[in-house]
Amino acid sequence: MASAGRRAKGFESAISVCLLAILFLIAVGIFIKQSDSDMSRFGIGPAAAELSLQELEINQLQINEEEKPALSSLVPAGFEALLKTEVYKPETLYEKINGKAPLYIESGFEELSTQRFAKTDDQGLWMELFVYDMGNVKNAFSVYSIQRRAEGKAFSPMRFAYKTSNALYFVHGKYYIELVGSAESDELFRAVAEVARKIRANLAIDYDTEIAELQFFPQENLVSGSIKLYLANAFGFRGLTNTFSARYRIADETVTAFLSKQANSNDAKKMAESYHSFLITNGAVKKKTSQKSIEGKVMDFYGTTEIVFTVGRFVAGVHEAENQQAAEKIAEILTNKLNSVLSNE
Amino acid sequence: MNKQNEGKLDRRQFIQRAGKAGISLAAAGTVAYLLYDSKGPGSGIGAEELVTLPDFSIPYQAGQAMSIVKGSNRRETVTKAIELLGGIERFVKPGETVAIKPNVAFASPPMLGATANPELVSEVVRLCYKRGRAKKVYVTDNPINDPASCFMLSGIGKAASEAGAEVVIPRDSLFKHTTLAGGRLIKNWPIFYEPLKNIDKLIGIAPVKDHHRAGASMSMKNWYGLLGGRRNIFHQDINTIIAELAMMVRPTLVILDGTEVMMTNGPTGGSVSDLRRANTLIASCDMVAADSYGCGLLGLKPKDLPYLAKAEKGRAGTTDYHRLKPIFDTAG
Repeated sequence: MASAGRRAKGFESAISVCLLAILFLIAVGIFIKQSDSDMSRFGIGPAAAELSLQELEINQLQINEEEKPALSSLVPAGFEALLKTEVYKPETLYEKINGKAPLYIESGFEELSTQRFAKTDDQGLWMELFVYDMGNVKNAFSVYSIQRRAEGKAFSPMRFAYKTSNALYFVHGKYYIELVGSAESDELFRAVAEVARKIRANLAIDYDTEIAELQFFPQENLVSGSIKLYLANAFGFRGLTNTFSARYRIADETVTAFLSKQANSNDAKKMAESYHSFLITNGAVKKKTSQKSIEGKVMDFYGTTEIVFTVGRFVAGVHEAENQQAAEKIAEILTNKLNSVLSNE
Repeated sequence: MNKQNEGKLDRRQFIQRAGKAGISLAAAGTVAYLLYDSKGPGSGIGAEELVTLPDFSIPYQAGQAMSIVKGSNRRETVTKAIELLGGIERFVKPGETVAIKPNVAFASPPMLGATANPELVSEVVRLCYKRGRAKKVYVTDNPINDPASCFMLSGIGKAASEAGAEVVIPRDSLFKHTTLAGGRLIKNWPIFYEPLKNIDKLIGIAPVKDHHRAGASMSMKNWYGLLGGRRNIFHQDINTIIAELAMMVRPTLVILDGTEVMMTNGPTGGSVSDLRRANTLIASCDMVAADSYGCGLLGLKPKDLPYLAKAEKGRAGTTDYHRLKPIFDTAG
C-alpha cells in the first residue's frame, strides 16, 4: 500500500512539474510579446509617431530596391524619372492617398507602386503613375468602375480604359492603373499614352481575366462604360455583395439595372428578401405593377422606383428609377437575358 | 492508517495542504497586484508633458462672423470676404505672428484642386503682412507623404515663400502629445504643436472636396493635418475625429475655398473632370458654420455630415449658419 501511495505521489509531482513548466513558458511568451509590441497599432502609443519621416522613407526605398525596380524603366521619350519608385502596402496606403485608402483596402488592395516622370526640359510638365495591385481582375475592375468619370472617353484598344483631359485610367489584369498629368497638354498626354503602351507590353499578367457577369447585361440601350462592380455594400446595403450595375437609356430616361450572381437559387432568394426588407425598413412602400412576373417586387422609394427579383441564382433589379414604366421595361429585358444565360449553361 | 482511512486526508494533512494553497494564492495575488497597471498601456508620456493648443479665436462680433463672396478670382474674393468681416486688421494686429494652415495633403498639382490653392494662400500671407502688419507669417501642414514634395508640387511652398512667409516642414521634434478634455479619440496623441506654440493667430485655408470616408473635406477636416502618429486609424471613426479636431483647434479665421469644388473621387481627385466651378469663397470665424454652408456646394445638407452635428454639440460652432447673418457679396 505504501509503495502504491508513493507511486501516486510521484505521478502527481510529475504532472505538477509539467503544469508549472507550461505556465512558465506561457509567462516567458507573454513577456517576449509585450517587449516587442507596437502600441501604435491600437492608436495608444507613439511608436509610429516617433518613427522619423526619414526612417519611413528609408523603409520604402528598401522595399523599392528589393521588390520594385521596374517602374522607372517605363519612362517615356523626352522625360525622366523623378526620385525612386514608392511602394505602399495596405498598412501604409493612407500615407499616399489618405481618405481614399479604405476604398482600395476594402476591395482587396495588395500593393501600390508610384513613380513620377517629368519632361526633361520643362519640369512643370510631369505625370504620376499609380499601379495598384488589387489581387485579381474583379477587384481591379471594381475600383476602376466605381471611380469612373462620367466625362471620360474610351481609350482604345483597351477594353477597360478611359481618358480625361489630363489623365488616363485603365485595368491591366489584376492591376488598376492611373496616369495623372500635371496639366491639360497634348504633349503630356502623348507621353501618358506611351507609358500605358509600355505597361501593357512589359507588365506581365494572367490573361485569363474575363469577368463573366459583364456578358449578362443586355447590350441594347446600355450606356457605354457604365457598368460598375460593388464588391460589397451596394446601394448602401451591406448584404448586397458582388453586385454589378449598369445604366440604360430608354425613351429619354436613364435607368440603373443591377445583378448579382449567387451560389444557388436559395442564396439568391435570401439575398433578394434581405434587400427587399432593407428597403421597406428604410421607407420604401410596395407599388402596383401591370407585370405579373414582378408583382410584389416593385417599390416606391421616396418618389423613385426600386425593383428586386431573382432569376435562378441571380439577384437582379432596378435601382432608383425616376420612371416606373422604364424601370419595368428594363426589368423585363434583364429577366429575359438572365433566363437565356441560364438556359445556355 | 487502517484500510478505511486509506486515500483520505487526516486533519493535519488537510490543514497543511490548505495552508500551502492559501500561501500560493496570496503570493500570486500579491505579485499580480504589484504588477497591475491600472492606467493601461500608454505612450509613456506623463500628464505633465501633455500640451494644449492655445485658443486663437477672437471675440464674436454680431453680423461680422461669416461672409460669402462670389467670384472666380481668388485674390479678389478672399480680399473682399475678409474686408466684409472688418478687414484683416481685425484679425491680425501689428507685430503679431501668424500661422496659416492650408490643406497640403497631397503631392498633386494645383490644377486638380486636391490641395489649397497657392494663389489664395499667397494672397492671405500678403494681407497679413501688408494690412495686418504681421511680424512673421508661417505656412505649415503635416502631409504624411513626403511633405517637401507636397509643398513643392502643390505650388504652395513657392507661393508662400514668394509672399514672404516661412514654410515649416514637419519633423519629429515639432510634435507633442495632447489630450482633448472630454475627447474620446484625441488622448495622449501627438500633434503638430511646436509651430503653433508661440504664434498669436491661426488661419485655416481649405478647398471644398468630396471625401470618400467623411462625405466632405472642408475647413474642419483640414485640421486632420495637425495630427501625427498613425492617424489613419481614425478613419474608422471619421466623424468623431473631425468633430474632436474642431473642438481642439480654435482658429482665428477659416477660409473655405469653393471656387472650384471637387465633386467626385475625393479627397485625392486626379482628373480635372472631378471639379466643378462654383465661384464661391467663404470666410468665417465659425468653422462649423462655414462647413455647413460649404457642404451645399457639394449638393449635401448639414445633416448628411454627422461630424457637423457632433461638433456643434461639442460647442465648436453652429450648423445654423443663418444665425450668424452671413454677408453675401460678389468680387471682380
